[in-house]
Amino acid sequence: MREITYLEAIREAMSQEMRQNEDIFILGEDIGVYGGAFGVTRGMIEEFGPERVRNTPISESAIAGAAVGAALTGMRPIIELQFSDFITIAMDQIVNQAAKLRYMNGGKGKVPLVLRTPSGSGTGAAAQHSQSLEAWLVHIPGLRVIQPSNAYDAKGLLKAAMDDDNPVIFYEHKLLYKTKGDVPEESYSIPIGKADVKRKGKDVTIVATAMMVHKALEAAEELAKEGIDVEVVDPRTLVPLDEETIIQSVKKTGRLIVAHEAVKRGGFGGEIVSVIAESEAFDYLDAPIKRLGGLPVPIPYNPHLEKATVPQVADIIEAVKETVHF
Amino acid sequence: MAKEIFMPKLSSTMEIGTLLQWFKEEGDQVENGEPLFEIMTDKINIEVEAYDDGVLLKKYFGADEEIPCNFVIGFIGKEGESVPAVSPGIAGSDSNSNEQAPLEVETKLESKESSESNTVTQSGKVRATPAARRVARDEHVKLQLVQGSGPKGRIQERDVHEFLLNTSTDLRISPLAKKIADTEQLDVATLTGTGLNGKIVKQDVTDALKSKQKPVEVAALKTRKKLSGMRKVIAERMQQSVTTAPHVTLTSDVDMTKVKDLRAQLKPIIEKQTGLNLSFTEVIIKAVGNVLSRHPKVNASLIGDEIVFNEEVNVGLAVAVEDGLMVPVLKNVDIKGLSHLTVEAKDLAKRAREQKLLPDQMKGSTFTVSNLGMYAIDAFTPIINLPETAILGIGRIQDKPVVINGSIEVRPMMVVSLSFDHRAVDGAPAAEFLTELKRVLENPFELLV
Repeated sequence: MREITYLEAIREAMSQEMRQNEDIFILGEDIGVYGGAFGVTRGMIEEFGPERVRNTPISESAIAGAAVGAALTGMRPIIELQFSDFITIAMDQIVNQAAKLRYMNGGKGKVPLVLRTPSGSGTGAAAQHSQSLEAWLVHIPGLRVIQPSNAYDAKGLLKAAMDDDNPVIFYEHKLLYKTKGDVPEESYSIPIGKADVKRKGKDVTIVATAMMVHKALEAAEELAKEGIDVEVVDPRTLVPLDEETIIQSVKKTGRLIVAHEAVKRGGFGGEIVSVIAESEAFDYLDAPIKRLGGLPVPIPYNPHLEKATVPQVADIIEAVKETVHF
Repeated sequence: MAKEIFMPKLSSTMEIGTLLQWFKEEGDQVENGEPLFEIMTDKINIEVEAYDDGVLLKKYFGADEEIPCNFVIGFIGKEGESVPAVSPGIAGSDSNSNEQAPLEVETKLESKESSESNTVTQSGKVRATPAARRVARDEHVKLQLVQGSGPKGRIQERDVHEFLLNTSTDLRISPLAKKIADTEQLDVATLTGTGLNGKIVKQDVTDALKSKQKPVEVAALKTRKKLSGMRKVIAERMQQSVTTAPHVTLTSDVDMTKVKDLRAQLKPIIEKQTGLNLSFTEVIIKAVGNVLSRHPKVNASLIGDEIVFNEEVNVGLAVAVEDGLMVPVLKNVDIKGLSHLTVEAKDLAKRAREQKLLPDQMKGSTFTVSNLGMYAIDAFTPIINLPETAILGIGRIQDKPVVINGSIEVRPMMVVSLSFDHRAVDGAPAAEFLTELKRVLENPFELLV
């Protein structure tokens, strides 16, 4: 199969869909000739023109508001925010308008928009450009929240997001843009709400999201040398969450570690742990659950400190050993 | 310096006490006056309070161990203070006398188990993972029996599996089967399970119970209980009394017509005064006290080679309590009124049943009354409560035909049985006492004189 990058997979998903569906257009800051902050939309303005690849003023609130209005009137907009940190400025439009209007109108109106935005640290972008705020959005009924961890998932899930009639927050990870993976050339869709077992194992389950999926897989390789068989589950979509896959995995292994880059306190890991504690998998737990998450500090600019702020492979290995060995 | 905690001597006859439970663990803070441990003496269960402030440094004995009076059972002191590894023996003796500690106590020390594993926490809860609990639940394993291999002795799922492998299959039993077996006092270890993996199921237990009817099986089904505490004291006392005192029992029929009348008339008065119900027991005790005061030979105690004629008339009242018998004492019965006696007797009986008698309330009796009148008992041969000289057994009151002035009448009759120690008193004076008691009971208004 053909290998392309995560970034290319996202661009391909949008381009393929835009060729099929006239209602879809992209809007965001410098997404035209410049191709966006990370180059995702590079070349798209040449193919689709400035009507469908629209540069906007520097106002996330205006971008989101315009998209909500367009969506309500029958378009299917895709928003690109340069950094997911800026979602705070778009928050009122997303939370109080996009998420609620379909419900408040008894289903007569709908807001089929996709908000694409890169999150995460590791690029030296410091405190205001490195956060992982997905837990904020997860809390809002009416939104779907997706976090693909590889090129294949990114293309398939973005297609599903564009097809969905609800507002979808589509979190891309900066460090993943350059990662490569096998991706089919034709258009395909991955159902929203379906987790993926990235590695099968029997000793311990690691539920990891986005960049942490890769770190968990790396840790699993190391641990396999010591005879510890790690299962890595990637929820892929946080809302809706595929609870069943996680529950079945924990029932099998009896041990659970949750890893995400977002700050541990109030992070989505707590939700996953709660799901397990409330489920029948509780009776299969043979060790206390562990959560790995970011330290409760703004992401530092210093690259060493930046790394120390979020869980690394060594942290995951240590957590697994503590959980498995007794 | 650390202060000794010792087995208190609570009465002149107490030589040994059984430690029932500690209220504190080693390392716990203890305050002066706080209950520290509970003991059982030959007469009473009592909580012993701490005499000092400090930390409980050492416990030399555990529950159910018997310890001689004044023997050191622990130390209270400052945190980290060093204390002897074994009990230094009798309290107050200097450290050189260590070797004088009785050997029998040292052997008991060996049975003290060190609890390294924290599987069972101080609150009594078991440290086990949910998975271990699930397996234990499904397999009916008691987690308390499983040794945990995890951190701090935590029981992991695999520990339960190992326990199951190492446990003979006949201990696997369904909850229903277990319940029936427990109720019927059936030893499940003797059963063969026919359920899944040899699990004992209800059918196995009911089959065993059916075959239990055959006498051959009975021997295997006896339950055993260690003779201890009150039971042991009663056993020793009764044995001693029967073997040392030659018992003779006299019986006499008493016409209770007038006592019934007296009681009927006094009952509302005493109830109004005290709120309590005057019973026959109190009237009988009053009569006994009255007669005893005129028969010093029956109110005597044989101690050593002396007969001690007691000045006070103190009547012990045998009270049945759970798994035993207590004899609280009503003092100076001869000079107390019925109302007073009712209050006192009711209080003593209540305290006896609740095991709340004070040591003083169990001492000094000169004669004992044992009443089985609430049962279908006419007469019996009570055993003397040494060193007393005699004991009176009371039977039930029953309407019987009796001959009065040549004609048959129905009267409420009661048999009194007097056992006396023939070493201390002879048949004639004992018979005189009983005869007079009969006369007083048949003419109870004499009590008013």
